[in-house]
Amino acid sequence: MLLQTAGSLVAILALAGLAWWMKLGGTPQLADEEDVRRIAAEVDDGFVPLASATDREGRAALARDAQGRIMLIKRHGNRFAGRLLGPGARARADAGTLEVDCGEARFGRVVLALGDAQAWAEAIDRLDEVRHA
Amino acid sequence: MPDFNPTQYAVPLFVLAVLAEMIWARLRAPEAYEPKDTLVSLAFGLGSTVAGALLGGFALAVFLAAYEYRVFDFGPQWWAVWWAWPVCFVLDDLKYYWVHRAGHRIRWMWASHVNHHSSQHYNLSTALRQTWTGAFTFGFLFAVPLVLLGFHPAMIAICGGFNLIYQFWIHTEAIKRMPRWFEAVMNTPSHHRVHHATNPRYLDRNYAGVFIVWDKLFGTFEPEVDDEPIRYGIVKQLGSFNLLWAVFHEWIGMIADMWRAPWRHKLSYLLREPGWSHDGSRETSDMIRARWRARTGQAPLSTAMSVADRNRIADAGEAA
Repeated sequence: MLLQTAGSLVAILALAGLAWWMKLGGTPQLADEEDVRRIAAEVDDGFVPLASATDREGRAALARDAQGRIMLIKRHGNRFAGRLLGPGARARADAGTLEVDCGEARFGRVVLALGDAQAWAEAIDRLDEVRHA
Repeated sequence: MPDFNPTQYAVPLFVLAVLAEMIWARLRAPEAYEPKDTLVSLAFGLGSTVAGALLGGFALAVFLAAYEYRVFDFGPQWWAVWWAWPVCFVLDDLKYYWVHRAGHRIRWMWASHVNHHSSQHYNLSTALRQTWTGAFTFGFLFAVPLVLLGFHPAMIAICGGFNLIYQFWIHTEAIKRMPRWFEAVMNTPSHHRVHHATNPRYLDRNYAGVFIVWDKLFGTFEPEVDDEPIRYGIVKQLGSFNLLWAVFHEWIGMIADMWRAPWRHKLSYLLREPGWSHDGSRETSDMIRARWRARTGQAPLSTAMSVADRNRIADAGEAA
């Protein structure tokens, strides 16, 4: 059993290493608003962004819909994953970058290089005010 | 009594098949694989076999106890009754359909089965993304009727092993469609892509293991639509490659929900479908599909199929 497990472990590491060596995967980018719209609809069916902001490197994005909901999208491997931000979300703008914490430790903090980082930080902080209003 | 575990012998075949699919991906679809995702999937597979060996004893003890009360007796050389094998295989596949359906519709079971769905990729390594925590559910009880009928637990385990081996090859995007007669009866890559999809039209569909006829019989069949790109994974994608989080996240979420819920709702967080909440703050797969249908005007494709086939009016073009 132990030998078999060790053998399987070696095979696993070899296959994963091979996937890396063969350059499988790639790094997709969010190129424009249409990309953000498409991914946002995948994260939450029916979510239609009224406004969005995309990281300069295309790694992440923020989108706001007509109901004032804000969605955070990040690249995850060679796919994208997202979260609708709740009152627990936090944002910090600093010199053209925005760090967003959706409140889930395992989703991680997402850093976006944005032109209007401060405006988005304020919008995200207002989600908390809505809850306490 | 035969001491035979078919999945053990299939492991080298699994490794070679993953390797072959990686070469296909390199040539045709590099995005089909993601090294970190592959590593997590394969680690799931290894951990699953270890967990099965460590925790499977309780289920075996229950089966052997139930076997003493069997209705039919195939005799001391039960393995020599040739016709019992195909009957057992078919009945085990029917059992698989229901345990799998429960795995998606009961959160307690989903907490374990979600592991298999947590990749945003669909390739042969995803097939090996098996749960570590199946022993903490009641899934094994679905096999008790087979034992009581008279099928020896070892026969059921061997049939189950072949069932799992069959399901390995259908986890691929490299095969589009099998011949029509095969698609009609058997579970195929096309049918199972639907099962792994998060597109609203596909949620909680195609639970079959080997024979797709069970889904057609019990009303859960949904055909794959060619012009709608499939998104794989779970409704709330993990967004993390942390293996332990991937293994336990739904257990943690479920227990936290039960802890916080009012007393009269605690059991519902255990026994109702994933996404159910006592305050309506979340959505089940049925709610997501209903909202999508209301928004797009889409009828269930499985029921509209005959009309669509006849006159090709049905437009399935809009991505969900």
